[in-house]
Order: sequence, then structure tokens, then C-alpha cells
Amino acid sequence: MKIVLQDLTKTFPARGKKNAGEVTAVDHFTFEIPDGELIGLLGPSGCGKSTTLNLISGLLKPTGGKIFFGGDDVTDLAPENRGVGLVFQNYALYPHLTVKKNITFPLENLKGDQKLTKAQMEEKALEAAKLVQIENLMDRKPGELSGGQQQRVAIARALVKMPRVLLLDEPLSNLDARLRLQTREEIRRIQRQTGITTVFVTHDQDEAMSICDRIVVMRDGHVQQIGRPQEVYDDPANLFVAKFLGTPPINVFQGKVSHSRIYIGDEAIMEIEGVDDQDLTVAVRPEGFVVQDNGPLTCRLDRLEVMGRDLSVISENPACEAAKVRSIIPAETVVDTRQQEVHFTIKPNKIFLFNKESGKRLPFTLVAGGRQPQMFSIKDDVDGSTKTAVSDEELREMVAASLRVGETAKPARSAGKKEDDNA
Amino acid sequence: MANKAKQSAKAAGIEMNKTRVKPGHVAAYIVLILISIVWLLPFVGIVLQSFRSFTLEYGGMVDYLLPKTFSLDSYTWLFSGESQFLKWYSNTVIIAFFVAIGQTCMVLMVSYALSRMRFKGRTLWMRICLVLGMFPGFLTMICLYFLLKQFGLTQAGAIPGLILVGVASSGMGYYVCKGFFDTIPKSLDEAARIDGASRARIFFTMIIPLSKPMIIYTALTAFMAPWNDYIFASYIAFGYSDSYNVAVALYRWVNTNDYQGYFTRFCAGGVLIAIPVTILFLCLQKYYVEGVTGGAVKG
Repeated sequence: MKIVLQDLTKTFPARGKKNAGEVTAVDHFTFEIPDGELIGLLGPSGCGKSTTLNLISGLLKPTGGKIFFGGDDVTDLAPENRGVGLVFQNYALYPHLTVKKNITFPLENLKGDQKLTKAQMEEKALEAAKLVQIENLMDRKPGELSGGQQQRVAIARALVKMPRVLLLDEPLSNLDARLRLQTREEIRRIQRQTGITTVFVTHDQDEAMSICDRIVVMRDGHVQQIGRPQEVYDDPANLFVAKFLGTPPINVFQGKVSHSRIYIGDEAIMEIEGVDDQDLTVAVRPEGFVVQDNGPLTCRLDRLEVMGRDLSVISENPACEAAKVRSIIPAETVVDTRQQEVHFTIKPNKIFLFNKESGKRLPFTLVAGGRQPQMFSIKDDVDGSTKTAVSDEELREMVAASLRVGETAKPARSAGKKEDDNA
Repeated sequence: MANKAKQSAKAAGIEMNKTRVKPGHVAAYIVLILISIVWLLPFVGIVLQSFRSFTLEYGGMVDYLLPKTFSLDSYTWLFSGESQFLKWYSNTVIIAFFVAIGQTCMVLMVSYALSRMRFKGRTLWMRICLVLGMFPGFLTMICLYFLLKQFGLTQAGAIPGLILVGVASSGMGYYVCKGFFDTIPKSLDEAARIDGASRARIFFTMIIPLSKPMIIYTALTAFMAPWNDYIFASYIAFGYSDSYNVAVALYRWVNTNDYQGYFTRFCAGGVLIAIPVTILFLCLQKYYVEGVTGGAVKG
């Protein structure tokens, strides 16, 4: 079932002297969810994602805008009649009913021609229980179940009436770490198996990136970016999205563009085109650092962290906003820890420029003819056409080219090494 | 034996504490015993005097407690046809029973609506009820009498009249019940709504099963009020002895009739009135306490 949100707005009115102004929880949210996809609403606490979910489910009435399920306008429809399944953050199981009765409760409320006999209800309940693998717990009460089991009962209850859309409100936040990984795979499996359009609210970007077909990043009621997980990661629309996604978090520096070069602090990093001279924020992903003697970026080496698969170099740079610069490099790289300083060069597709005040991303092109992946707009396409990311060969070419260009301009850069460690 | 215990404790290296009897404790116990005596003495007195025969000994008030002869004369006289005690007793039971049912339904529904629903004037209405509830009920006596008289619900029709008085405006006593419903999480309601349940269905299948203590508390208090009621019963049923309740009837014996002879029978009646309520309380006291404290945390 395709869900269309049109200009959805929710404001809470001012309440006396304490909350003087009115609060806009969701601001003109427009989005089309294609049928059968798993969408993640991602954002920090208080950004309006749970409010959006409640608007879709019908528990809150929007102050503006419309919601469509398929072709039906459901904006004024009560939640009982919308046919949604909602899994609450605290499960909200009925404590005085057994698991079986909990699951059959939605079926008992079906009216008219959808009414089912007792036998049919039991059969459907058993099917739903098998889907989430709790068929041996049917006679227990919710108080006698573990957290993960309660979670699965809640999911079964939401699915048993085959809803048009399944909504999950931070379903994994009450589970321990290992169970979280397991359950999110379950959710993905169930969603694939049933094909129900699903909206999943979370503040954990790991979760969102790993299982969602598309991510909507929200902040203070405004949509920041919508796109596939890899797109949102590789091509953030603004500084907030760049900082929110990715562990370890992106390294943010004070920098500027001057005479067609990006400067971090006082060091020129690479030659670019397409951005006017200005002070701005430069952000580099941890995996975008390449250790290289005489590389353009100088940092004071703090320590190395061995992570098995990778090596993490913790260093300091005066231009960095955080105390330490965290970079991830392949484990085979040799770093001389006796040196005080370490030099990096930056992969051009892992460096982002943001406007200093607004945080909006400023795309640029490399001087040597390479290009950054094209930026997506917020009012996104829905046919799912992918813009191609940069391939490995192109990447190597780009880096080599920018280094060759720097060769004549600055003697500090070493002669271009083509076989860099950009695996 | 105490010594052996002390020795073994010493061997194990544990220090045994002796609770020393402090003078403060003694004083406290003395006070408590005195208070208990003062409280219990009237009840004990009434029970004892109800066993005094009014034929063999004197049936009125005397200056000694223990009857010289134990007999059940007073009780048998009550159940004989000479007095209308059985009629009055059944009146009281009927009134209390229907008021309990009616009041429980009203209070539960009003509290649920106030707890869950948001509508214009809700807080204003709650505040008005709170303030109005502080005025004593019998300020409305005269007005009520005239109203009931118009409907013919006084004297001969006093029983329906008293039931009406008890049930009407009972919704204003929503406070404790609403507090209790506030402790039931709203997400339960929301989950049931998503599952397609109407408000009525949520009320009957979700809220009621979870509110057993509150229902029992409300029913008990609703039962008690008309059972002990004297004021309303006396003037609504004024003059028509068939519709008296026991409180009114017993008082009339001691007041208007020759109380010199009716006192033991009065005591016997009192004991009979007290028995059902005592039994109810003993059985349900666990729920009663849960009900009282359940609504107390959130107002």
C-alpha cells in the first residue's frame, strides 16, 4: 500500500505561561512511500519522528496536510478504521490477557463482512505466532515473558490483521545489544516475507542504515534528507546529516576555500572548482584519511588503536572542532609511532564542504576533471533511479590527478604515488 | 535455652541484640491501651447489653454492663411480628444494594471519561465539582424534599426516592477513581484503538478487568452510605413507618417511645445492622486498602 504524506504539519498550541510559544513538531512533511518498502525515520530525540508516526496511525490529528493510503484520503479517519498495525516502544501488551488472546484481540474487533469465526481467529493467531516464532508461548501472560518475547508478541499482534501499513515506534530500544541485532534481522525478514509497507522510527543510525530501504533524516520537525542508506551516507545534504550518520562520527574542521583550494586550518588540501572563496566547515569521514609521508594535512599523533580489521589513528589538529581527529586506515599500513606528527591526504569523495552558518552542503568539482557524486535534492524522486556513485578506478584517478596538480604548486607534496593505499 | 542460644551465637562470632525496653515504649503502650479501651467500650457495651433479657430484667438503661441473665429475648422479639424490624431491614438492604450498583456504574464511567478524554471545559468542570463537594450534602435537604414530593417519591414512595438521592450526582465523587485510572497507561488504550476497539469495548475489556480494587472500593463505600444514612431517610420517609430504614426506626424507639423499655432491643438491632457490613469489610479489606491507596498517588 503506497502511503503519501502531503504537506503534513502538526503544531501543539501554546499552553499558558510555561510553554509560551506554540511547538511545531512536524513541519510540512511531504513524502511518498512506495508499496512494500521499509522506511526508516531517523533523527535525534525531539525531532518529530514519533509524532509523524502517530499522525500516520491516526492517534494524532494533523493541523495541516493530508495522508493517503493507496488512493484513499485517511486524514479524518479514526485509527480504528485505518487498518494500521502499530508496535509501541513499550509494547503495550494487554497485561490481563494471555498471549493468544492478545493476538486475537484485533481480530475480535473486525465487524461486518470481515467478521471471523473463532476457529478462523485461532488459525490466524497461530500463523502470526509462527511468523515471529512464539507459537510455544501462547498460554502465558505478558508478565511471564522476557523482553524479546514481549516484543515479538507485539509484532504478531500488529501483523495478525494483515494491516495496510505496519508502524514501529523505536521497537528495539528496550532490548539488549545482542537481541537488538537479532530482532532487527527478524523485522527485516518478516517485512520481506509479508511485503507490508513498513515505517520504522529510530534514533540509532546503525539500525536504520542496516535494514531500511530508504532513510528519512529529520531534525526539529524538518526533513533533512531522504534517500537510500548509502546515498545519505555518501552524499549528505547538510552538516547535520553528515554528523548524524557514520560511526565513528565524521571529523569536522574549521576551514576555508581560497584561490580554488580547500584549506583545513592553514594547510591546503586539494584543488577544487565551483566554490567561492569563503570561510566554511570542512568535514572528513574517518575512512577518508590516507596516511602518506608529506601529505597535505598535518596532525599531531596521539595514539593508534588496533581494531583487528582496521587501524584507528587518533591525532590532534588545531582546526578540528572535536578534541581528537579519528581516522580509520587499513590494518596493513605502517605508521611510525616514534614521530610526533602524522601526515594525511584526503580521499576526495570523503571530504565535504558545508556553509558555515546554514550548514548546507556546497558541492564542488575537482580541478583535474574528476567529479563529486551529484547531490540529491530533498523533494526526492520516487521511482528509485539511482545516481551512480564513483567507481574505484575513477577514485584513484581523481586522487592521483589532484596530487599531480599540487606537485608543481607546492613543493611540500611528494611526487605522485599512483599506488596509494586506497584499496 | 536462651543461654545456649547466646553461647552458640558467641561461638559463631555474631552479636546478639537485645531489645531493651525503654520507658518510651511503656508509655506508648499504656496510651494505646487506654485509647483502645475508650474506643471499644461502647461496642462491647452494646453487644453485652443486647443479651440482656427485657422481660426478666429491665429492658432500659442500667448502670451495670454485664447482664445478670444471658438471653436472646431481644433478638427473638425483633424477628417476631410485633415490630416491623424485618421490613425495615429489607428496606435498608434494598436501598443500599441499588445505590451501590448505580453509584459504582456512574462513578466508573465519569472517572473514565475524565481520565481519558479531553474536552472543552473539562478542567473547569473538575474544579467546580471539587468546590461543590466541600459543601455538606444536607444543605440541599429542603430543595430535595420538595422535588421528590412532586414526583411522589416521599413517604410511601420513599425507597425509590432514597435510591434516586443516593445515585444522582454520585458522579461528583470521581476523584479517587479518576486518579486510579490515570495510573493505567494510556498506551494500552492506544494499542486497543489501533486494534479496532471502540471506546466502550476498551472500557469493558481493558479497564474494568484491571480495576478490581477500585470497583470493590467504590461499591463498598456506595453500600455503606445509605446503610448508615439517617438524615435523608428520616425526612423523606417522615411519618410513614413502612418505608423507614433501620437507622431511623431504631432511633425512633429510643427517642419517641418509652426508651426505658426498648434499650436492649435497640442494642440487638444495632448488632444485627453491624454484622453484614463487618463481614463485607473483613472479606474485602485487602481490596479496599488497595483501592484507597491506588488513587492516592496521582490526583
